[in-house]
Amino acid sequence: MLFRQAGIFHADYSADRALFPIPADRWMIGILLLLALAAPIYMNTLYLSSYLLPWLIWTAGALGLNLILGWAGQFHLGYAAVMGIGAYAAVHATRAGIPWEIAIVLAGITASVIGSVFAFAALRVKGLYLALSTLALQFVMDWTISHVPAISGGTQATLQAPDIRLLGRAVTSDAGLYYVALVWCVLVTSFMLNLRRTALGRALVAVREKDYAAAVIGVNSFYFKLVAFATSSFIGGVSGAILIGTFYHAVTPEQFSVDVSIQALAMVIVGGLGSIIGSYFGAAFILLMPGVMNSFISWATTKFGFSLGIETLAHLPQAFYGALIIGFLLIEPLGLGKIYNNIRDYLLVWPFGYTKK
Amino acid sequence: MKLLSILAGLALALFNVVPAAAADPVRFALCYDLSKAYTFVTPQIAQAVRDYADLLNAKGGLEGHPIELIVQDHGNEPQRGIECYERLKREGVMVFDMLSTPVSRAVLPRIMKDGNILIQSLVGRGDAVDGNVFKWVFPIGPTYWGQAANDIEYIKQKSGGTLKGVKVAFFYIDYPFGQEPIGILKTLAQKEGFELQLVPYPLPGNDQASAWTQIRRLNPDWIVSWSLSNMHVIASREMKRNGISIEKYIAVNWLNEVDIKNIGPDVAKGLKRGTNVAGGSNQPLVQQIIKELYDKGKGNGDRKFTEDVYYNTGLAIYSIAFEGARLAIKNGGWPLTPDKIKAGLESLKNYDANGLIAPITVTAQDHGGGGKTRIEMWDGGKWVPQTDWIAGFQDDVWSVVKEQSADYAKSETQK
Repeated sequence: MLFRQAGIFHADYSADRALFPIPADRWMIGILLLLALAAPIYMNTLYLSSYLLPWLIWTAGALGLNLILGWAGQFHLGYAAVMGIGAYAAVHATRAGIPWEIAIVLAGITASVIGSVFAFAALRVKGLYLALSTLALQFVMDWTISHVPAISGGTQATLQAPDIRLLGRAVTSDAGLYYVALVWCVLVTSFMLNLRRTALGRALVAVREKDYAAAVIGVNSFYFKLVAFATSSFIGGVSGAILIGTFYHAVTPEQFSVDVSIQALAMVIVGGLGSIIGSYFGAAFILLMPGVMNSFISWATTKFGFSLGIETLAHLPQAFYGALIIGFLLIEPLGLGKIYNNIRDYLLVWPFGYTKK
Repeated sequence: MKLLSILAGLALALFNVVPAAAADPVRFALCYDLSKAYTFVTPQIAQAVRDYADLLNAKGGLEGHPIELIVQDHGNEPQRGIECYERLKREGVMVFDMLSTPVSRAVLPRIMKDGNILIQSLVGRGDAVDGNVFKWVFPIGPTYWGQAANDIEYIKQKSGGTLKGVKVAFFYIDYPFGQEPIGILKTLAQKEGFELQLVPYPLPGNDQASAWTQIRRLNPDWIVSWSLSNMHVIASREMKRNGISIEKYIAVNWLNEVDIKNIGPDVAKGLKRGTNVAGGSNQPLVQQIIKELYDKGKGNGDRKFTEDVYYNTGLAIYSIAFEGARLAIKNGGWPLTPDKIKAGLESLKNYDANGLIAPITVTAQDHGGGGKTRIEMWDGGKWVPQTDWIAGFQDDVWSVVKEQSADYAKSETQK
C-alpha cells in the first residue's frame, strides 16, 4: 500500500538506475531531510546538541567503518584510532592557523595515509589475524598520543580545539554546529548510497565474498582492500575532526580509546553489516540507548515508587542494554537495518501476504 | 516491532525531562562513574555526600534552603558526561561534579563557556587551581603535583634535611593519571639533587613484574607510587617477591581500607600513604552522621562504608562545596547565580571542612586553597600520621601550574 510498486515503469536506463525507484522511499527521504533541516526550529537545544548532533557524526563514522567491514569484508578493531588521528591532525592544523575547511581535509588525508600504511602490513593476513593487527593500530596510536607531548598537548593530555570557522565566520551556535554535522552525515550517506552501484563498490563486494574468486575474475583484491582502508580512514578521520570541532571542543586520548573502537564496531554490527540505514539505527542504539535506558529506569522507579540504591540504578540500565543487544541480534542476526528491511518487504506486498518472496 | 519499543523508550525519555519549575532547593549535580572505572571510590563518596546533605537538611539546610542532590551515572564516558551536564544545566543546576578525569576534561570547555561551577577536587587537570585562568573550575584541595611535592618533602625530612644522593623511584601506571607528577618530580630532582628513576607499568595494572625487577636492580631508597586501589595490592605482592621492604612504599591517596585488607593488615605494616583527608570513623562529623542517621536506620547505604577513607573524602569535598554555597546565599542572597557561588567559594577562609582537612583559604587567584597533604603510615591496625599537614615546594608547584595554565590561556585566545 505504502510502498506501491504498481505503475512504476523503467522506460530508460537512468530511471532503472535511480537510487530510490519507489516513490514512497523518495517521499520518506524528502520528509526526513526536511525534518532534519528544520530540527533547530522545533527541537529544544538539549536534544539538538547532546543527542542529534553526536548521533549524526557517529553515523557518518559508522558508515565509514561499514565501508571496510560491511562492503570490503575486512575486520577493523582500530577505527577509533583512525578517528583520533583525524581529530588530532585537525586540531593541530587549526591551532597552526590553517582554515578549518582545509584542516578537516588534512585530517582525512592524514588518517587515510596512516590507516593505509598500516593496512599495507595488516593486509598480508586475513580474518581474525587482520582483526588483531588492526587492534595493534589502536594500541600504537594510544601509546604514541600519550607519550608524545607534542601531539597530546603536554602532561594534561588535553588540547583545546579552536572554535570552528567556516569561510572566516565562527560557528558557535547549537544550530550552526548541528548543520555542520548534518552536512557531513548527508555527504557520507550519499557517497555510500552511490558506492553500491559503482565499479569500486562492486569490486569491494566481490572481494568480500571471496577474494581469490575476485582475483580470478580480474579484481585485484589487495588493491581494492587498500582503497577500502584508505577511503574508510578518510571518512573516519574527517568524522573524528568534526566530532571534536562540533561536540567535544577539546581532544583527549580517551575519547578515541579502544573502548570507543569496540563501540564503533558494535554500531556497525548491531546496525547491520553493509546496511546504510542500519548504520543510523546502530549508532542511535549504541550511543543513545544507555542514556535513554538510564532516564527510563529512573523514571520508572519514581513512577512506581520503588527505591533502588544508586549503584543498582547505575548498573540496571547496562544490564537491560546488554540484553537488548543480544535480543536484537537473536531476532535478526543481520542487524537493525535488516529488521527495517523486513518491515519494508512486508509492506511492499501488503495486503497480499501470499506473494511473499 | 522492536523499533517501536525504542521509540517508546525515547518518547518516555523526552517526557521525563520537563524542566523543573523555579526551585527553592540548592541543587548539586553529581554526574559520577558508578558503573565502570571509578567504582572503587564513587559509591563511598556518593553515600557520604547524601548522608551529609541529609544531616544538613535536618538542621534546616543552607541558610534555610534544602540541599538537593542529583546523582547520575555516566559510565566514565565523555559523551554521557556531557549529556548529563547539558541536561542538568538546562534544569537550572549550577554546580557540577564529574569525579572522573576524562569526563571533567570533556565538560571543561563547556563549563568555561557557560560559566557554571565545576567542582573538580582530586581529579582533572591540576593547573585548574590557577583561578585567574580557570575562573569556573574549583579543584579545592591538593593537586597531584602538590601531593608529589609533599612526598618529596617527607623524604627530605626522613633523610636528614638533604636529598643529595637519595634514590627515589617513581612507580606509576602508564597513562595520564600516572604521568602527571613526572614534571614536578623532575624539577625537584634537579633542584634538590636526588636521583629520580621513572618506572612505568602498563594498563590495566595487573602485570607489574618487569617494573619490580627493574626496581630491585635500581635499589631505591624510596618508592613513590601513583597507582589506583588494587594496583597497590599487586605491588605489595611483587615487593614481597622481590624482597623489597614495604616501608619504602609511599602510595598516592587512592588506597583505602579495602586494599589494606587485601594486602593483609599485618603485611602492610609500615606502608605509607599521602592523604588529603583525615581518615577513620572517629572524626566528629562521621560520628555525628552515624548517630543521627545510621543509628536511626536512615543512612544512605552500607554502614561499613563509613569506615572508609573515601567516605571522608566525599565528606570533605562536599563540606567545602556546601559551605561555599551557604556563604553565597548569606552574602549574595537568594536566588543563587554561578557568580554568587563562585564568590562564595572564593570567600572560604581557613576552612577545615569539619576537621577533615588542613585549613584552606580559597581566593580568586588560588582555587586550590593551598591544599595540604600529610603522610600516614599503616601500623597494622590504623593509620598513624607521620607529618603535619604540609605543603612543600609551593613555588615549584606553582611555577609548573602557571606554565601549564598559560598554555591553556594561550589556546583560549586562539579561538
